[in-house]
Amino acid sequence: MILELASAQARDLTTLFDDLNAPAARVAVAPLLVLSAGVVLYLLCDVVLGQLRAMREVVFAAAIACAAGAEWRVLAHPPGSVLYGTFVANQATALWGFLFLLATLLAWIHGHGYYRENLPFKPEHDALLLTAPVGMMLMAGAGDLIVFFVGLELLSIPLYALCAFRRSRSASVEAGMKYFLLGSFASAIFLYGAALLYAGTGTLALEPLAQRDLGSPLARSGLALVAASLFFKAAVFPFQWWAPDVYQGSPTPVTGLMATGTKAAAFAFLVVQVTPLLPASDAPVVMALALVTMAIGNLGALVQSDLKRMLAYSSVAHAGNLLLLVAAGMGHPDQHGALRAALYYLGGYLFTAMGAFGLVARLEITGTRSTELSALRGLSRTRPGTSALMALFMLSLGGIPATAGFLGKWFVFGVLVREGWIAAAVIGALLSVIALGYYLRVIVVLYMQPAPEGAEPAPRAPWSVSAAGALCAVFVLAMGLLPSWFLGLLD
Amino acid sequence: MLALVTFLPLCGALLLLLVPGRNAALLRGVALLVTAVTALLGFWLYARFDGASVAFQQEVSLAWFTVDGPSGPIPIRFHVGIDGISLLLVALTVLLMPLVVLSSYGHVHERVKEFLVWLLVMETGMLGVFVALDLVLFYFFWEVSLVPLYFLVGIWGGENRLYATLKFFLYTVAGSLVMLVGVLALVWRTGSASVPELLERASALDPATQGWIFAAFALAFAIKVPILPFHTWLADAHTEAPTSGSVLLAGVLLKMGTYGLLRFGIEMFPRVAVEAAPLFMMLGAFGIVYGALLAMAQTDLKRLIACSSVSHLGFVVLGLFALTGPALRGATLQMVNHGLSTGLLFLLVGMVYERTHTRALDRYGGLASVMPVFALFFVFTVLSSAGLPGLNGFVGEYLILAGTFPTSPLWSAVGVSGVVLGAVYLLMATRRVLFGPVVHEENRGLADLGVREVGLLVPLCALVVWLGVQPNAFLSRCAPKLDRILERVEDARFAASLDAAGTSTPEVER
Repeated sequence: MILELASAQARDLTTLFDDLNAPAARVAVAPLLVLSAGVVLYLLCDVVLGQLRAMREVVFAAAIACAAGAEWRVLAHPPGSVLYGTFVANQATALWGFLFLLATLLAWIHGHGYYRENLPFKPEHDALLLTAPVGMMLMAGAGDLIVFFVGLELLSIPLYALCAFRRSRSASVEAGMKYFLLGSFASAIFLYGAALLYAGTGTLALEPLAQRDLGSPLARSGLALVAASLFFKAAVFPFQWWAPDVYQGSPTPVTGLMATGTKAAAFAFLVVQVTPLLPASDAPVVMALALVTMAIGNLGALVQSDLKRMLAYSSVAHAGNLLLLVAAGMGHPDQHGALRAALYYLGGYLFTAMGAFGLVARLEITGTRSTELSALRGLSRTRPGTSALMALFMLSLGGIPATAGFLGKWFVFGVLVREGWIAAAVIGALLSVIALGYYLRVIVVLYMQPAPEGAEPAPRAPWSVSAAGALCAVFVLAMGLLPSWFLGLLD
Repeated sequence: MLALVTFLPLCGALLLLLVPGRNAALLRGVALLVTAVTALLGFWLYARFDGASVAFQQEVSLAWFTVDGPSGPIPIRFHVGIDGISLLLVALTVLLMPLVVLSSYGHVHERVKEFLVWLLVMETGMLGVFVALDLVLFYFFWEVSLVPLYFLVGIWGGENRLYATLKFFLYTVAGSLVMLVGVLALVWRTGSASVPELLERASALDPATQGWIFAAFALAFAIKVPILPFHTWLADAHTEAPTSGSVLLAGVLLKMGTYGLLRFGIEMFPRVAVEAAPLFMMLGAFGIVYGALLAMAQTDLKRLIACSSVSHLGFVVLGLFALTGPALRGATLQMVNHGLSTGLLFLLVGMVYERTHTRALDRYGGLASVMPVFALFFVFTVLSSAGLPGLNGFVGEYLILAGTFPTSPLWSAVGVSGVVLGAVYLLMATRRVLFGPVVHEENRGLADLGVREVGLLVPLCALVVWLGVQPNAFLSRCAPKLDRILERVEDARFAASLDAAGTSTPEVER
C-alpha cells in the first residue's frame, strides 16, 4: 500500500498540482482549504495580535462564513469526483458541509463564557475546533479509504484534546483519555479493515470497490472491521459504551459537536459509501443492532437524573435510528432515499441537540452550576423563554410533529417501510415511545414542578448564546413545517 | 374559509403571547373573542354546507412537500375540506370552545396566559384532525393535538396529574407511532397521500396489506376512543384534568378516535371493516356494559363520568361497525350527543368542584336544596345522558340499537342492557349529589350558579333539546355521505362473498 502511494507520488507531482489547479478540483476542495487557511490565520492572530481578542473572533467567523460560501459554490455547480476519484464534491457533500460548519459554529458560540478556568487557552480551543470540520468534510467527501482515514484522524485528534479541555475537572480528563484510547483502537481497526480489503480486492478506492466481488473472506472481514470502526464513531451497539461517559465528562459545547458533527460525518460516509458494499444477506444483523442500540439508548436515558447524561443516551438512541437506514439499504447501489432521510434527520438533530446542549452549557455556567435535571425545577416561572426553547427541543428529539424531529423520523421510517421492513419499523416506533418518557420528564420538571425554595432566578445568558438558541429553535420549527425549502436543496 | 377557521385559533394564540401576562381580564377577553369569532365562522360554514352532496366541500389544497414514491415523487399537500361527518364534528368543536374558555374563568387563576394559549393551540389541532384531507396532514394534527392537552392536564390538573398525563401521552403515542408505520406503508403502496384518492385506491390493495394497515390505524383509534382493553388511561386523564381539559377531552378528543374509525377504517378499508366488524361490535358492546359497571363502582363523581364515557363510546363503536344505515347515523349523531352531554356533565362537576373542592360523592348530598338552579341543570343533563326520549341521547342510542339488531341481535340486546345500567348509575349519582338531607354542614353555604355559568350552560342545553326533537336537521347533513359509505361497504361485502364462493372477481362492477 505504501509502495503504491509512494509510486503515485513519484509518478508525477506536477500532474497532481495541475489537477489541483483544474477548476473542478479547486471548487471541490475550496471549503477545506479555506478552513485550513482559517486555522493558520487564527493561530497567527493569536501569536501576533494576542491582545486583540476581537480580531480572533472575526477570523473564526470569517473562516466559517467563507467555507460556507465555498460550499455554496459546490452546491450550485457540483464538480463531482475529482483528484483521481479520491474526493467527491456534490450537492450532498455540500449539504453535509453546511451541517458540519453549523455544528462547529454553534459549538463555538456555546463555548463563549464556558471555560472560565481555562480562558488563557481559549485560542487553542478554537483553533482545534476549527480543524474538526475539515476532518468531517474529508470524511463525508472521501472517495478512497485512505482519504477517509485522514479525515477521521483530522477530526478525532482535535476532539481528544477538546474532550479533556476542562483540565481542572477529573471527569473531563477521564473523558478525553477514554475517548483517546478507545478512539485509537477504532482507528486501528479501521486501518486493519482497510488493509484486509486491499488484500482481498486490490483497491482502496470506493468506486472500483463497488464493482469488485466482495464475497471473499478477506474482503468480508475487512468490510466488517471498517463498518465496526464507523459504528464506534457513531456510537452504535455494541460500540456505544464509551459514549455516555465521554459525552457527560466533556465540555458541553464539545459534547454537542461530537453528538451532531461526528455522528453526521460517520453516517454521511456510512450511508452513501459503505452501505452499498455491505452484503444484503447480513441486513437482519445490522437491523437487530440498530434496534438494540435504540433500546439501550432509550432505556439508559430513562433512568438518568443528569440532563447531560440523558442527552448522551438519547444520542445513542438516535444513532440507532440512523442505523436503521443503513440496515434497510444494505446492498442497494442507489442510496438516494436513505441519503435524503439521513440528511434531514441529522440536520434536524443538529439544531435540536445543539440547541439543547447549548441550554445545558448555559445551565452549567449560571445558577446552580449543575446539569442535574432537578436544577431545572420550575424554570418556566423565572425564564419562560429558555424553558419554551428547551421544551421545543425535547419535543423535537421525541419526534412530535411541527418539529424537525418528526419529519426526520418520518423519512427514516419511510425508507424502512419502502424496503419492506414493516416489523422492524413497528418495533422501532414502539421503542420511540420509551424515548418520550424521558423527554417529557424534562418538560415536567420545567413546567409542572415548583421551583425549589429560596432559589435565585437564573441570570441572563450572553446575547450570542440566546441568539444561537433562538436560531436553533427557528430552524427546528422551519424544518418541521416547511420541509420543501430544505428538500429542495438536495434535489 | 375552512383554513381560516382552522388557523384562526392559532393566530389568536400568537396574539395572546403578545398580551402582558398580568392582565388576566384582557387575556380572557381576547381568547373569548377569538373562539367566538371562530365559532361564528364555523356556523357560517355549517349553514353554507350543501347537505345533499357527498363530495368534500370548502376544499383548500396547497403544495407542502414531496416524498419518494414507487413511481415518481408523491406530493404531500396541505389539503383540507369537509364532508357531512367532519362538518358536525367541526361544529361541535367550535361550539364548545368559547364555552370552555368561559368556564375557565372559574377555575384557572394561575398562569392564565399559558392556559389560554394552549387552549387555542389545541383548537387548531382538533379542527385540523377533522378537516385534513391529506393523510400526512391528518397524522400531523393528530399528534400535535396531544401536546396542548399534555400541558393543560400536566400544569393545571389535579393532584395525581403527572401520572395521568404520562400515562395518557405514552398510551396515545404508542398507538400513533404504530399508525405512523401504517400511514407510511399506505402512502408508499398507493402512491398518494390525498384522502379522496386514497379512498379509491386503498381498497384495491391486496387484502393482507389492507388488513395490517387497517390494524395499525385501528390500534391508534381504539386507544383514542378508547375501546375496551385500552381504556385505562381515560379515567385517570379525565379525573386529573381541569374542567376545560375534561370537556375538550370528552367532547372532542375522543371523537377523533371514532372519526378516524369511520373515515380511515370503514370508509377507506370497507372490506377489512366488514371482516373486523364482529370483533369491534363485541368490543363495543363489552365497552357499554363494562363502562357502566365501572361507573357504578366509582366514588369520585368525575371518575364516574369518565367511565360513563367508555360506555357511551361503546355505543358509537357498536353503531359504526353494525354497518347498517340507521346504526351509522346513530353513531355519528351519538358522537355529537356525547360531546354535548358529557361536556355539560363535566362543566357542571367543575362548577360544583369550584365551590366544594371535592369530587367525592359522599361529600355531597342534598345540594338540590342549596343550589336549585344547579340541580335543575344537573338533572336535565343526566336525563340527556341517560337517553330520555325527547332529548338527544335517546335518538342516538335508539338508532344505534335499532340498526344493530338486524346484524346482531345479541350485541343489540347487550347494548340495551347498557341503557338500563346507564340510567342506574346516573340516577344513583344524582340522588347522592342532589337529594336527601344536607349531610355536610359546609355545603349549606354554597352559592348557586351565577349568570356566567348559566349563560354557558344554556346554549348546550338548547342544543340537547333541539337534537332530541329534530335530529333530522343535523342528520340530513351527514346522511348522504353515510349512505355513500354504506354503499362502499355493501360493494366490499359483495366482492368478499364472491371471493368466498370461489369466483374470480378482478373487477367488481358498481
